[in-house]
Amino acid sequence: MDRRTFLKASAGAGAFAAAGGLSAPAIAQGAAKTLRFVPQANLANFDPIWGTQYVVRNAAVLVWDTLYGFDENLKPQRQMVESEETSSDGLTWTFKLRPGLKFHDGEPVLAKDVVASLTRWSSRDTMGLMLKALQQELVAVDDRTVKWVLKKPYPKMLLALAKNSTPMAFIMPERIAKTDPFKQIEEYIGSGPMKFAKGEWVPGAKAVFEKFADYKPRDEKASWLAGGKNMLIDRIEWVVMPDPATAAAALQNGEVDWWENPITDLVPLLKKNRNVAVDIADPLGNIGAFRMNHLHPPFNDVKVRRAVLMALDQEEYMRALVGDDNSLWKPLPGYFTPGTPLYSEAGGEILKGKRDLAAAKKLLAESSYKGEPVTCIVAQDQPITKAQGDVTAELLKRLGMNVDFVATDWGTTGQRRALKSPPGQGGWGMFHTWHAGADCLNPAVYIAIRATGEKAWFGWPDVPAVETEVNNWFEAKNLDEEKAIIARLNKAALDSVVYAPTGFFLTYQAWRKNISGIGKGPIPFAWGVSKTA
Amino acid sequence: MFAYVVRRIIATIPVMAVVALFVFSLLFIAPGDPAAVIAGDQATPEQIERIRQSLGLDRPFLVQFSEWVWRLLHFDLGRSIFTNLPVTTMIAQRIEPTLSLTLITLVLSVIVAVPIGVLAAWKAGSFVDRAIMGFAVFGFSVPVFVIGYLLAYFFALELEWLPVQGYTPFAHGFVPWLENLILPSIALGCVYIALIARITRATMLEVLQQDYIRTARAKGLAQTPILFIHALKNASVPIVTVIGIGIALLIGGAVVTESVFAIPGLGRLTVDAILRRDYPVIQGIVLLFSFVYVLVNLGVDLIYTLIDPRIRY
Amino acid sequence: MPAVATPALPDLWPPVKIRRGFLGFLRRHPTVAIGSALLIVMIAIALFAPYLGTVDPTTLNTARRTRAPSADFWFGTDMLGRDIYSRVMYGARVSLTVGFSVAICASLIGLAIGLISGMLRFADGFIMRIMDGLMSIPPILLAIALMALTRGSIGNVILAITIAEIPRVSRLVRGVVLSLREQPYVDAAIAAGTRTPLIILRHILPNTLAPMTVQATYICASAMIIEAILSFIGAGVPPITPSWGNIMAEGRSLWQVKPFIVFFPAVFLSLTVLAVNLVGDGLRDALDPRMAKAL
Repeated sequence: MDRRTFLKASAGAGAFAAAGGLSAPAIAQGAAKTLRFVPQANLANFDPIWGTQYVVRNAAVLVWDTLYGFDENLKPQRQMVESEETSSDGLTWTFKLRPGLKFHDGEPVLAKDVVASLTRWSSRDTMGLMLKALQQELVAVDDRTVKWVLKKPYPKMLLALAKNSTPMAFIMPERIAKTDPFKQIEEYIGSGPMKFAKGEWVPGAKAVFEKFADYKPRDEKASWLAGGKNMLIDRIEWVVMPDPATAAAALQNGEVDWWENPITDLVPLLKKNRNVAVDIADPLGNIGAFRMNHLHPPFNDVKVRRAVLMALDQEEYMRALVGDDNSLWKPLPGYFTPGTPLYSEAGGEILKGKRDLAAAKKLLAESSYKGEPVTCIVAQDQPITKAQGDVTAELLKRLGMNVDFVATDWGTTGQRRALKSPPGQGGWGMFHTWHAGADCLNPAVYIAIRATGEKAWFGWPDVPAVETEVNNWFEAKNLDEEKAIIARLNKAALDSVVYAPTGFFLTYQAWRKNISGIGKGPIPFAWGVSKTA
Repeated sequence: MFAYVVRRIIATIPVMAVVALFVFSLLFIAPGDPAAVIAGDQATPEQIERIRQSLGLDRPFLVQFSEWVWRLLHFDLGRSIFTNLPVTTMIAQRIEPTLSLTLITLVLSVIVAVPIGVLAAWKAGSFVDRAIMGFAVFGFSVPVFVIGYLLAYFFALELEWLPVQGYTPFAHGFVPWLENLILPSIALGCVYIALIARITRATMLEVLQQDYIRTARAKGLAQTPILFIHALKNASVPIVTVIGIGIALLIGGAVVTESVFAIPGLGRLTVDAILRRDYPVIQGIVLLFSFVYVLVNLGVDLIYTLIDPRIRY
Repeated sequence: MPAVATPALPDLWPPVKIRRGFLGFLRRHPTVAIGSALLIVMIAIALFAPYLGTVDPTTLNTARRTRAPSADFWFGTDMLGRDIYSRVMYGARVSLTVGFSVAICASLIGLAIGLISGMLRFADGFIMRIMDGLMSIPPILLAIALMALTRGSIGNVILAITIAEIPRVSRLVRGVVLSLREQPYVDAAIAAGTRTPLIILRHILPNTLAPMTVQATYICASAMIIEAILSFIGAGVPPITPSWGNIMAEGRSLWQVKPFIVFFPAVFLSLTVLAVNLVGDGLRDALDPRMAKAL
């Protein structure tokens, strides 16, 4: 074709396209029944047993249900289970499911689904692995009854099934639960109050959940993961916004309804807005941390670790994280979550009171530290680790230690911290992280407090005294015994500095005032939340 | 003509091969471990190793590369390590916003830049010219995200004329789609407008010295037809070249703009994938961008033949 | 033939007094004058940062974070209580170092590659395919990808941006070399048996200097902006060492409430890039007006 025809044809095609666009009808939004939520991070994958990030769990509680669930007092309550029975010797647990439970594809929830799900879960979860080691058999007795027989009693069974720390014991259809625990599932069918709209999922941008009409909530009042999960919203859209400034603007404009974790500096702006409400997100809060490498110098010497702890100013760290608002942080001379039954300050004198830099330097001089550089890993893309890292660099400088500041990202941190080689050869000296308060309640869920040496969490602390107390705790008969044990554990852990707690801090959540029913908790619970236009 | 097009397409294959090898090796030697990120904070080293094996990340380079090329030739870009979705699906989900943003920016930039470039050339040396060129240099100098934040602040938050973020698909209506794209396009387009305006002015200046312009003027033609019909047409070749080259700049700038305005496009996907070491996604997208760039170059060459009949292949 | 006195032709237009020399050039191009002055100021800031009333830019004090500009903190403090004025002054060092280093390195390496490619026909196809391949990846994505390979540091940022800019320089140099190779005097030199290195040195190199210098200034400006974008993404110089890019990146979430954190480095960065661009334009006009079309 010649030039003119070509040009005319292109122009014609362009006009046609534009005309078609103009006549497309606007899709009616059922706005009053759609909740637009900004999550803490991107939902990149959606297998809550395989991927243990918090954001995956937060989405998973909408789609899958559990046998038991914590209520707001951290007590396990029945959810999918109608009744349970323990044999007198404590070795056999029998669970009976509630009638009428259905999966999103219409199939009923059967005991064999529970068996397969628990098998998969117990291959990945710490408490689950303990159960698996003790397991004699796990079978479906009939369609609604499950029997779990152990070789030794395990009093914390209900806690294991109810806990909200990842991975939670979600119940999936048998065919999906049979997937290898180290591979991702590809179907997202559960029996929870919402269905996952897989076709609308854009990882990194959007995830959509739709109300499951056949969900049968319990009669009790909802309390965290326990009670009746009544959905008053038809549709939830998760809108991923990596830029907090954009999220703040969107919330102010009404383009989103609920923001999981606004950064503290933007909160005054949100509080000023007449249409936005702001409150604490989770009373269990978070514990800031940095972990030192117990395998290699300089931190293999407890004196060096104690010297760092002596110079550590928790207020400095916390202010870097939460700013001027004093109601958002507490000093933490211990390892367990403040406000919970097992909180203890035993052995915490080193973190209390005015910082004695001279004494810390003296202790450092007595130690084996010879001035070698400390390889300090700081992930720049997580605001919490970034802020902590900057404060740590200053802390070490004040102490007179040599800092090799490695600025990297969260992904590389994850890889590098797993290396046991010496710092000069690709290893590390210290890295920063944080733990949700819900994960620091007791030794069962608290991977970071374990001190089994080479098998422990990164940093590999080896403190036999801590491990003795952990074993004691599992055997404990009542709360008073537990408290005494934990006090001894706390002291032992601080004496050897299993890791350095930088403080306890709370975060906010923000939502528009036409949304009601938003509660506080470790997970943004969507049941009971409603929206007026 | 047809033979030329075919020859050009075949010539792009070695370029694509270089890109493919480069991209694949780049990520292979990179540190950072997707298995560790997937496993999450509470995982033990053994669990991380098992995840790595299940993803096939522990096999030798050549094995992985050959497998990859083989699948590529079947249009299979693999599956994302993190989401387990096919990379082609992920790209398809995100391509509309980026395409829309790029398109609107392109149209906006050309519509604004070419006339002001022509104006600057016509009034060369005058205050108007200096003002326009000064403005253009400014467009180069201020970072995209600063412009983006300023625009969002004034037009979205203060005046509330436009939404502050997000993307409305075209299928939901032309006007909402456009509304979401106006501010990002302006932010992204500043650099582009500056570039095009400068080249337009420079080329027009040269063309305006030519004899045939003097003849046209002597013939008594009015200024506008001279400028736009005679001068501009002859100046188009370098202008179109710059527009073509600028598309690579646009793609790069889209990364930042999509982040500021929360547009779920390919730019953001790429940055997320790179920071998470999601190898298949990174490879797929970089290949796609290169392919697009190569296509754009081809398109530019074809457009040459349309606007300048002297150019024959 | 007898000499014939040619009558003096009348002037068609009055003679214009053209001021020669550098100062004359500046007078005719005031934008270049402004640009050069600005650039000199920025370089001075970078060099004399410790004497400009600054404190240690890394000292933090979280008790006084995000304070607005005041008599004590001229540009305010950032999220960790560090003095922004000091950080901006010291930040000039990083941004300028990145800009100049990338410009110099990319030019030198691109020059070498372009010369080799232009002079050695057998290497030309292969090298240019690689350069085309690299050029077809948008430079920012290439820089981010390269940064993802290593840890953030000034050296790595310079390296990453340099690699992204080399292909264009090499194309430019190659183009010059190819066109020069056809020139009669070069042909003559080859015929006379002059060895290649001498040809390059005497004939080719001088002709590449002008376009390369102009290109180098644009690369400098582009490198400074790319460094800012890399910091914005989180893949740039770590904030222990302040650069204008990473001061802005750290303050970006707060631009609505504490705009001064982003504002000051943005102004300085924009002015510096502007200055470099103006100088580049001036150089281009001075060295060869015909180059205006090529660049």
